Amino acid sequence: MENTKDREIVLSREFDAPRELVWKAYTQQEHVEKWWGPNGFTTTTSEMSVRKGGSWKFVMHGPDGTDYPNLIEYERVEAPHLLVFSHGDDGKNEIQFHVTITFEEVNGKTKLTMRSVFPTAEARERVVKEYGAIEGGIQHLAKLAEYLKGM
Amino acid sequence: MDTGHVDWTFYALAEPHRLEIVELLRVRPMLVGEIVTKTKMRQPQVSKHLKVLSEAGLVEKDAVAQKRIYKLKTTPLKELNAWLEHYRECWEESLDRLDTHLEKMKEGEKHGKHKR
Repeated sequence: MENTKDREIVLSREFDAPRELVWKAYTQQEHVEKWWGPNGFTTTTSEMSVRKGGSWKFVMHGPDGTDYPNLIEYERVEAPHLLVFSHGDDGKNEIQFHVTITFEEVNGKTKLTMRSVFPTAEARERVVKEYGAIEGGIQHLAKLAEYLKGM
Repeated sequence: MDTGHVDWTFYALAEPHRLEIVELLRVRPMLVGEIVTKTKMRQPQVSKHLKVLSEAGLVEKDAVAQKRIYKLKTTPLKELNAWLEHYRECWEESLDRLDTHLEKMKEGEKHGKHKR
């Protein structure tokens, strides 16, 4: 597996609920719409198909009325323990995260770990074309993030 | 969310050699020649990377007595940091909401069982 430690954000949380339930909350439209997004946001789904190659098209409505189109494309769907997808917008911003979520059973609780890998340079065709070269992936960004904190 | 120039910052820093240059310039502003020596890259390569970095607003050039001195501009890095923090916060809030929703789901399952 590619080492992405230096360019990822990892969030982890333990939930006092069975793993199947957490999986359901993450993968069923009726549930995911109820909690997805930061405070004050609501979500409207236009299409959701949680399976390998499937996608979830939705709009997040911000508290100030701004709409944010989102597109999730599922790459691995292995109930109830693994979900891998790419998460981007409608293509305008070109920032795309690659997200891996694991659901682990820990003493009757469920530990959810979400690993978001930074966008890679390869995804950025417009810029790549402009400079005429495909360059390596993002590296050492964690180190960078570390010193950014002190700025 | 307004991502500003974050995508450019990402792009510019995605290349290991450019990140190396940024790391060097964190210490102090440097002449192109110094960057060449320290990175062991060839001058044209360094110039190419400096061009990308300056277009992304990450470095700026001072010309002093015919010498080109490059220094780091921190604004895009601060923006990037703010953006990453924002991403993290959004998810923390989202997971809080998931927690609350799971409680409701557990209740729902209980009631479902009672009905049967």
